[in-house]
Amino acid sequence: MKKLIKNENILGFASSLIAVIIGLLFGAIIIYIANPNVAFKGLSTLIQGGFKTGAKGIGQTLFNATPIIMTGLSVGFAFKTGLFNIGTPGQFVMGAFAAIYVGVKWTFLPSSIHWLVAILAAMIAGGIWAIIPGLMKAYLNTNEVIVCIIMNYIGMYTVNYLIPLSGNVYNSMKNQTSYLPSSAIIPDFGLNNLFPGANGGIIFAVIFVIIVHIILNKTTFGYELKACGFNKDASKYAGINDKKNIVLAMVIAGCLAGIGGALVYQSGAGKCLSVVDELAAEGFNGIPVALLGLSNPLGVLVAGLFIAHLNVGGFNMQIYGFIPEIVSIITSCIIYFSAFSMLIRLFLSSKSRGHKKEIVPIETEPVNEGGSV
Amino acid sequence: MDYVVEMCNITKEFPGIIANDNITLQLKKGEIHALLGENGAGKSTLMSVLFGLYRPEKGSIKINGEVVHIKDPNDANHHGIGMVHQHFQLVHNFTVLENIVLGVEDTDHGFLSMKKARKKVEELSKKYHLNVDIDAYISNITVGMQQRVEILKMLYRDNDILIFDEPTAVLTPQEITELMKIMKGFANEGKSILFITHKLNEIKEVADRCTVLRKGKYIGTIDVSKASKEEMSEMMVGRKIDLHLNKTVSNPKETVLEVKDLIVEKKGHKNAINNVSFNVREGEIVCIAGIDGNGQSELVYALTGIMPITSGEVILKGEAISKTKIRKRNTAGLGHIPEDRHRYGLILDFPLSYNLVLQRYFEQNFSKTGFLKFKNIKEYSDKLIKKYDIRSGQGAKTIARSMSGGNQQKAIIARELDRNPDCLIAVQPTRGLDVGAIQYIHHQIIEARDNGKAVLLVSLELDEVMELSDRILVIYEGELVGELNPKETSEQELGLYMSGSKRGVVS
Amino acid sequence: MSQLYFLVQQTMFFAIPLLIVALGGMFSEKSGVVNIALEGIMIIGAFFGIGFIHYFQTSFSNQQLVLLLAVLVSGIAGMIFSLIHAFAAIHLKADQTISGTALNIFAPAFCIFTARMIQATQQVEFKNTFRIKSVPILGDIPVIGELLFKNTYLTTYLGFAILVISTIVIYKTRFGLRLRASGELPQAVDSAGVSVYKIRYFGVLISGFLAGIGGLVFVVPTSTNFNATVAGYGFLAIAVLIFGQWRPIRILFAAFFFGFMKTIASTYSGIPFLMALGIPSYYYKITPYVATLIVLAFVSKNAAGPRASGEPYDKGKR
Repeated sequence: MKKLIKNENILGFASSLIAVIIGLLFGAIIIYIANPNVAFKGLSTLIQGGFKTGAKGIGQTLFNATPIIMTGLSVGFAFKTGLFNIGTPGQFVMGAFAAIYVGVKWTFLPSSIHWLVAILAAMIAGGIWAIIPGLMKAYLNTNEVIVCIIMNYIGMYTVNYLIPLSGNVYNSMKNQTSYLPSSAIIPDFGLNNLFPGANGGIIFAVIFVIIVHIILNKTTFGYELKACGFNKDASKYAGINDKKNIVLAMVIAGCLAGIGGALVYQSGAGKCLSVVDELAAEGFNGIPVALLGLSNPLGVLVAGLFIAHLNVGGFNMQIYGFIPEIVSIITSCIIYFSAFSMLIRLFLSSKSRGHKKEIVPIETEPVNEGGSV
Repeated sequence: MDYVVEMCNITKEFPGIIANDNITLQLKKGEIHALLGENGAGKSTLMSVLFGLYRPEKGSIKINGEVVHIKDPNDANHHGIGMVHQHFQLVHNFTVLENIVLGVEDTDHGFLSMKKARKKVEELSKKYHLNVDIDAYISNITVGMQQRVEILKMLYRDNDILIFDEPTAVLTPQEITELMKIMKGFANEGKSILFITHKLNEIKEVADRCTVLRKGKYIGTIDVSKASKEEMSEMMVGRKIDLHLNKTVSNPKETVLEVKDLIVEKKGHKNAINNVSFNVREGEIVCIAGIDGNGQSELVYALTGIMPITSGEVILKGEAISKTKIRKRNTAGLGHIPEDRHRYGLILDFPLSYNLVLQRYFEQNFSKTGFLKFKNIKEYSDKLIKKYDIRSGQGAKTIARSMSGGNQQKAIIARELDRNPDCLIAVQPTRGLDVGAIQYIHHQIIEARDNGKAVLLVSLELDEVMELSDRILVIYEGELVGELNPKETSEQELGLYMSGSKRGVVS
Repeated sequence: MSQLYFLVQQTMFFAIPLLIVALGGMFSEKSGVVNIALEGIMIIGAFFGIGFIHYFQTSFSNQQLVLLLAVLVSGIAGMIFSLIHAFAAIHLKADQTISGTALNIFAPAFCIFTARMIQATQQVEFKNTFRIKSVPILGDIPVIGELLFKNTYLTTYLGFAILVISTIVIYKTRFGLRLRASGELPQAVDSAGVSVYKIRYFGVLISGFLAGIGGLVFVVPTSTNFNATVAGYGFLAIAVLIFGQWRPIRILFAAFFFGFMKTIASTYSGIPFLMALGIPSYYYKITPYVATLIVLAFVSKNAAGPRASGEPYDKGKR
């Protein structure tokens, strides 16, 4: 058991799990306060998530998970390289718009690649949207959080401005974008038979999980990105161009979020982009996914599925009169407690050491860390 | 016996380590008492307990015979105890006066009232010849003046028991002499002084008695006038150590590194490096000696590319590298053991293996078409670990953060030396390390020099400067002010150059 | 001319909440704790303040008193909410960005949830009876009277009062000195025998109090209901804080700069000269944001925030 606790990954997983359990407990309390009579039914509906309605529910979960896995990858990737990409709503919506535009307008493309080109357009749009925070951070030392937030609003206003100007992209009656032709819909690769309502989007999400994993852990580029994220100065010492890497990292993060937009609006579920001044929730929801998944691509996949599971459960809970915002409350609790994950990890690992007095090195550097012992 | 302070059987623990193990220390009134030990021996911890920053697990403290409980620095102050820390506790954008009164401010209905404080500080400053500019901002005053501010902090609080933690690390030999005079003055007045150091010379000069700690344990207390430096050193380290290095005469050959008319600007101040020229040849160790803050750091950063050069030339093996990117300099034969091993030398959150290839991961051996070759990286790391005896919890995959300072430094040295640089720049390579590690690293540096490398050493430890170097270049306010032969000069003369009191010609 | 008066009056409604919240952020950061939860705290403060008004408005004859009490309620609510962030950041030494984000996600969800539990809809309505048409005597001064003392709210003067008080507290009191030291070099504060934890708690709680007030002050002049959002003002306040280099007077300037831009964006249709230019509303909407970006680009290079800000203070690591 002690050996298990020493393993970094297990520790991380355990601390996330604890955060989740505490969050759910908190949610259980709120559910009970809200409506004690149906509290148990409500809670069990929440926890069952998509499983409650069988294959259809699972399809819903997969559909729900797809965008937040992408935005979770985006946020997580940025975290690994030392950046807080809170600009996912802006990148997501720019990607969505690009995908919809190509989907509606570029019908001259052969149907085998039309949808692929749309996804590509979304990727590029998201990447471009993230260049500004990247450049400003790298060259001007501007806090990327503020710039990203500003870009979120500019993005939202821009998309809402461009849609009505884009001819047949705009459905003025419903104040949203038009439906996409079938050539722009992502093929479902047979998933629809297994889980009605699911489509190929989730497959792409999984593919990107793998791609990000490979980039971060197997390539020299990933080595450099992580180096910059951990220690900018030592990276400079090693000859790594930290400025270039910051910009690249943001662009990749932006691409991932943009693709998220494409995967949702090209899903064939009939979802359309409303022209309304509201920031894309899928963007912000990437943050808890990344935090729970410890910024690790595989962790993000699991966390994304889990939170989607909860979202579907929350939606189903409405039958009993519960308000779906409960899921946000629970999610925020999970995030809050995952902030202590470091602490939980230290706590767990100190338990494993017991009373053995190891010589744990005390730093005697006069420069940054503490003084001599 | 009238001891003014008695620390009895103090035990202080941190997670996983016993920093102070049943230590007893007794301080007489009016005495200057040295606390000697290597880095990591527990000296600062013990004094932090006395000053109320830590609470001991076991033991008690008596002041003037009475048992007291010191919960925090306020309590310590009440009992007249004050401390000058090794790293000054001065807020950079406050004035001298504000720093002195922080924590004991006079207030008028909650509003700051500085009049009385100002008067008292001026009086104290005059009385003890501690010259300070009361309204200057800390960021604008010299290190020597900063230390005087720290001393005034203690005097302002009417402290009688004064603790100095490694006070001479940042001073010139002349300033050190002045400080010793001030300390003796305090002692004559009846104040009692505890002074932490690992420098035997200083103890000999000013201390009455000396308590020696080793690895958290109390070794003994001796009368300084009756003990020799060798005896004190043996108590400190636990074995007889040869204080002298065996070094053959150097036989320098071709010039490897040439620096011409180098100027490095510093925004808003005068030039950090002002028209510096020198060279380093194969097979010699050139040492840049000087007080911290006179441009050494900037010089090295400029040579290695971390800081930009304003004008002048740096030529490595005949090629100008003043405008070359850092990576190119590294691969062209420049090795750098940086001043700050945590900031520049290592990526603490990377495993040891990743750190060992930090300068080489992109080479053909370690990566192919963008993908890392893990097997090769591991093999290489294992090789270096064995060759340089780098100790770590889990070998090549140990996370660097969990390694000891000495082993972290060994890893950096292993990495840089194994790259076979033609010119090795080593800055403060033994800072904060214990004697064993220091000896090992000195040995490595001399071996590199004997193998024909050009070594540029930057050090603040005068012993190290005198022992290791073949040639000494003294830097003062960004300029080279003297070239000395360690065999022909003395620490005193070196000190005069370092403080700008003497200038010579540099070839 | 009357247009200028109108513009200035309107600018107050956008600038004052930014000012108050940014000042709150200043207290927190200057003590060493990064607080990006200002958005969430504003929402909580507004919720409780507007809720108070909703239920108690009719029980009082003096509506300005209602407003003042509501301000108090918002401040206290914000303060209590910020305690959550303070505890995580200071005591548990958690990542301050994560803790702040958690609060930002929690706040609107909580407000919507609670509102719908209590009253079935998520919007909390109130009657805006707080507008002061003209302050007696002061309102009759030519020019100045029109600019500052007509068509205004008590909260505007409150904002200026908070500015003055904040400046005095930060620079002229013992607490202020210790607060600033905690954000620059907490070790020095610790060695001086003062509790860094206590000071930082105060810093965060003050920021919570002010951000809570800021939320209410934002909603009251601009709307007749509260819909669980403050349109990103909490984040804009952080931009104002950075723009203002963490100093009260510069924050004032930054808040008004931005507030004025936002005012133009929403009132340009009433200004014939601007309408005549035929610029689509989109450009007006994004102007404040783009302007902020440009300013940040220039200001950030030399931005010197409190040195110890964002790092949990650990005694053991001296």
